[in-house]
Amino acid sequence: MKNRQSKLWIWFPIFSLILLMSMSLSVTLGAANISWQLVWQIIFSKIPGLNLFNQASWSASTETIVWDIRLPRVLLGAVVGAALALAGAIYQGVLRNPLADPFILGVSSGASFGAALVFVFGWQVFWLGQFTLPAVAFLFGFLSLLIVYFLSRVNNKVRLETIILAGVVVQSFVGACLSLVLALSNEQLQTIVFWMMGSLALTDWSYNQIIFPIILSISVISTFFIKELNMLGLGEEAAHHSGVSVQRTRFILLILASIITGAAVSVSGAIGFVGLVVPHIIRLMFGADYRVVLPLSIIGGAIFLVGADAFARTILAPREIPLGVVTAFLGAPFFGYLLRRAKRGYF
Amino acid sequence: MLDLQNVSKTVDEKPIVNQVSFSVQKGKSIGLIGPNGAGKSTIVKLISGLEKPTNGLIQLMGKDVQQWSVKKLAQHTAVLTQEGLSPYPITVFDAVLMGRYPHLGFFQREGKKDFDLVEHVLETTGLTAFKDQMLDTLSGGERQRVAIAKAMVQQPQMLLLDEPTTFLDIGHQKNILNLVKDWQRRDGLTVLMVLHDLNLAAQFCDELILMNKGKVVDIGSSEQIIAKETLEQVYHANPEIIRHPKSNIPQILL
Repeated sequence: MKNRQSKLWIWFPIFSLILLMSMSLSVTLGAANISWQLVWQIIFSKIPGLNLFNQASWSASTETIVWDIRLPRVLLGAVVGAALALAGAIYQGVLRNPLADPFILGVSSGASFGAALVFVFGWQVFWLGQFTLPAVAFLFGFLSLLIVYFLSRVNNKVRLETIILAGVVVQSFVGACLSLVLALSNEQLQTIVFWMMGSLALTDWSYNQIIFPIILSISVISTFFIKELNMLGLGEEAAHHSGVSVQRTRFILLILASIITGAAVSVSGAIGFVGLVVPHIIRLMFGADYRVVLPLSIIGGAIFLVGADAFARTILAPREIPLGVVTAFLGAPFFGYLLRRAKRGYF
Repeated sequence: MLDLQNVSKTVDEKPIVNQVSFSVQKGKSIGLIGPNGAGKSTIVKLISGLEKPTNGLIQLMGKDVQQWSVKKLAQHTAVLTQEGLSPYPITVFDAVLMGRYPHLGFFQREGKKDFDLVEHVLETTGLTAFKDQMLDTLSGGERQRVAIAKAMVQQPQMLLLDEPTTFLDIGHQKNILNLVKDWQRRDGLTVLMVLHDLNLAAQFCDELILMNKGKVVDIGSSEQIIAKETLEQVYHANPEIIRHPKSNIPQILL
């Protein structure tokens, strides 16, 4: 107990520091050469009432690049990465399945389908404006989850095997719908495919303003369920006998995880591998205790995606590689290495 | 303490438990025995709220179990199953500490009193040396001892056991049942245990309930139940009955 807790006290600040460093490093990367000191000066100059630096020491275009182009993107990367890793950690714990990732219950297929419809039909709900795409994607993702949940509900009980199977069923059905839309679309095909592979391009502060509060509040709420997540690890019956309302806890956690998945996917597309791999990496490094796994997965996911995005936009600059490709490229070998090195089962 | 009145459980129109009634006095240890499919495990599941009875009333301390929340029920009853705890990689200390869950509020964290209780129980169950070991590095018998410790930390008035010794060697079997026996004597715990092993049941229980095909066949002391004719009828085997040389308790030989 005590040593577990102290593990978190040591590693949480270290992870946070690494995240901060990788974020500021990532802002410096790009066509325009900007030092990290300058990045921080611009950030601090934006804080009202704080006038530490002489405003004139950088040009207006530099400020635009840092503040309006790179920073929102890096921040969104961190938020989306945190969301996906948290969702993955929760799904793996609740479904007691090491292969579970944020997309296992069809949320991402639903969201992709919704996004494809928006692209093809050029829907624009006028009061949603530029948010039509994320809003529709979120809605479709959530609808898929509800279908999965009600399909797997038999006699007022949801069994684990059934819910995973129902997820597979809905995923393939929605996947077929998506393929149909893709086949019938003409010039939008490339846009849709690129969206599905995940990207943080074309983000500005408005996306952050919407998704950040959602993901922050759900991260905080989910930490209240750490005890329950650990107890589910000892077996569902054991958890019940110790006083956990298994059905209710599972429902709440799945909804929470699906909301953040939906939110993340709706702004950045279906970025794979983060949600599967990051929680596993944390487990391999620090053990399976959710008191450590949950907070470190959140920060770890943010670090991972910020790094992957920096890679995606610099390695073949000025071309961008789809983010989902990079996460798989980086994540899979590292995961494989850790898996080989691990001496015992850890899940 | 525990009172079952005409409890039935039907699954797909097939009666698993049929009109079962019995009561258990506080501080007693009752053994539930009978052949496979007699409905013993189902009785435990019905009392612990994992399943709901189709008919009948189950009362714990004078109150209908159905009305209790899962958490409230866990404050008063603990359960030990044959699978016990999954080999999940957390420490023995943390696993045992989970037994405090039903006594904590949603936002409440474990305090010093809880930690002290866990330390004390680890001492009683001889697990202090294993405290920081991961659950998945322990043997089945050691893990079952952790499960007992977790149940003790839960501080229930009633302990339900569903064949807790099935996968254990004789040393661990005796160890687990002795822990339960000592606990019963110490705290006036009420115990209801499903046991396959009739010899252990005769030795460790104050009274036996013999079930067959969902019904209660007989209730009584081991002297009454462990009898040639009764066992022949129910088990379709004809065991020899002898006396334990030390305790004089009836034991069977196949």
